[in-house]
Amino acid sequence: MRLLIVEDDAPLASGLRRMLEAEGHAVDVAARGEEAMAAAAAERFDLVILDIGLPQMDGFEVLRRLRAAAPERGAPTPVLVLTARDAVEDRVHGLDLGADDYMVKPFATPELAARVRALLRRSQSHGGPRMAHGPLALDTLARRATLRGEPLELAAREWAVLEVLLARVEKIVSKEAIIQAVAGWDEELSPNAIEVYVSRLRAKLEPAGIRIRTVRGFGYMLEEFAPG
Amino acid sequence: MAARSLRVHLLRMLLPPLAALLALGAVVTYTLSIEPATEAYDAALTDIGIALGSQVQVSASGYRFEMPAVVEQMLRTSRFDSVYYRILSPGGMEIAGDPDLQPPPGDADAYDGSFRGNKVRVVSVQAPCGRSICTVLVAETLVKRTQHSQEILLSTLLPEALIALAAALIVWFGVKRGLGPLTSLSEELKARSPRDLRPIDAAAAPEETRALVTALNGLLQEVAESSRTQQRFLAAAAHQLRTPLADLQTHSEIALAQALPAPARAPLEHLHAATVRTARLANQLLTLARAEAGARGEVASVDLKQLVEGEADTWVHQALARNVDLGFELQAAPVQGDALLLREALANLVHNALQYGGGRVTVRTARLNGCSRVEVEDDGPGIPAAESGRVLERFYRVPGTPGTGSGLGLAIVRDITSSHGAHIDILAGGGGTGCRIEITFPHG
Repeated sequence: MRLLIVEDDAPLASGLRRMLEAEGHAVDVAARGEEAMAAAAAERFDLVILDIGLPQMDGFEVLRRLRAAAPERGAPTPVLVLTARDAVEDRVHGLDLGADDYMVKPFATPELAARVRALLRRSQSHGGPRMAHGPLALDTLARRATLRGEPLELAAREWAVLEVLLARVEKIVSKEAIIQAVAGWDEELSPNAIEVYVSRLRAKLEPAGIRIRTVRGFGYMLEEFAPG
Repeated sequence: MAARSLRVHLLRMLLPPLAALLALGAVVTYTLSIEPATEAYDAALTDIGIALGSQVQVSASGYRFEMPAVVEQMLRTSRFDSVYYRILSPGGMEIAGDPDLQPPPGDADAYDGSFRGNKVRVVSVQAPCGRSICTVLVAETLVKRTQHSQEILLSTLLPEALIALAAALIVWFGVKRGLGPLTSLSEELKARSPRDLRPIDAAAAPEETRALVTALNGLLQEVAESSRTQQRFLAAAAHQLRTPLADLQTHSEIALAQALPAPARAPLEHLHAATVRTARLANQLLTLARAEAGARGEVASVDLKQLVEGEADTWVHQALARNVDLGFELQAAPVQGDALLLREALANLVHNALQYGGGRVTVRTARLNGCSRVEVEDDGPGIPAAESGRVLERFYRVPGTPGTGSGLGLAIVRDITSSHGAHIDILAGGGGTGCRIEITFPHG
């Protein structure tokens, strides 16, 4: 994947670059907002890691311009905002402007790596008709699912629940959100019904190492697939 | 000394001069009305004296006074008083009457004296008797005069006492009424959040309090300005601290990801652990400073349930990393507050529970009897009752606690809680073990 780091602190930028390169990405670094805009105009990046505290043109402005330029370039490039300022204003402002995730400095690099992976996975599967998760593949157009290459039988409701969880791998999804996504206009679904669908999904997916974790009193999370 | 009361102060200032004025008034009125009365009564005695003098018969043998017994009886006893008299010839010889009645001293016409044990008023009259002038002394007891003077005194004092009472009442209730605008001003100030530094509406304040309101607004503005300065400083400090800490952490993590010889790995791991700790401490100190500065008036309606839901994903991942079962029981719990600080308080509670609280942690939000509440319960070793007061102090850690915490987490929770007018309770966990920390927000 091709990543752009926009960070004016040279030691941090080089550290992030090394770390992400070790993950197998191609990484460019821009130290200023203007540079970042030029790089984004010249090339298509799969992800931008954007520091808010840049000299002159700050990260919010870069984000605003990136998003303003986005429509002609197809699906928007995911942006992970880094901030050293107090979280909430920057987060709210950043998310309002269309950032996909944020992290407050200082952060643990494994967590940053995990979020980069999650964002890339989401942007790859999002909008596309095919979603994959380890040995599981969903073709949403053909409504066909395969597990380890074998056809997987899923009832309509099971399919819908799995689709919601798969769109947000490694994020917890509340039961309400699942109900909203699964239930049609004319029907009411109880949280208990969701539990039934999830346990059926588990029975089908766990033998292949795909785990759906219950978050007590909240909802579910499709865990990151770890082979082996 | 009792607290200074404006009413008491006013009454103290007002009542003594008022009392003195009333007393002086009473004396003047009494004197002014008693004098004509005395003159009138004296004139009546003089008339009696002249009438008595006219009864004196002058003949060659001398002076003779005769009065029928009935008349004498009528003269001597009026309705209220006894009357005495003594008639002396121009030469000073006794003619009739009570010889022991003394004439006024010197050349006075009247005097107050006593006669046969009674207080009397004595008038000396030069009355024509025949062709010469006799001296007639007429005296009467003071029953009628005393009664009259008492009536005069009463009719003077009663209205004045009423005036004094009215003045005191007017002061008492007038002060309360007059201070009404101050009372409503102080009610408004009391009802304010300590974080609310908006100016008071000076236009709505009564004219008398406007100067006070203007002065208060000036003060509020200065406090708000210095709070903004502090917030700017904190934002700058946060930035300046966090970026190099991020450098340190990133590079130490990259280094630790390499294959390293053991002698290099151990100090690097220490370096990394210290960096992470420093980063957390810096964040906590910044939060604490923000909670203290606390006066930016960013108070809004916040639902604790939504706040928790927004953070749930982050917390669940932290719990998974520690192998803790983090669960939720969430009901709507609206409060008025600063979402940033409330989130920070909850994050600290959850972090503490995940760090020290055993294998199962539950976050609950609810609304009970009109009060919103959030609580975090764990099944860890719990906080001994003796320590539950101290754990809220800054930099205090329960002795024997594992790990390298700063002891700031719960102090941050306490500061944020109290700046929201909420209170914090440290209770035992539901299963008999562990700890339940409960934050209850004020009614509303």
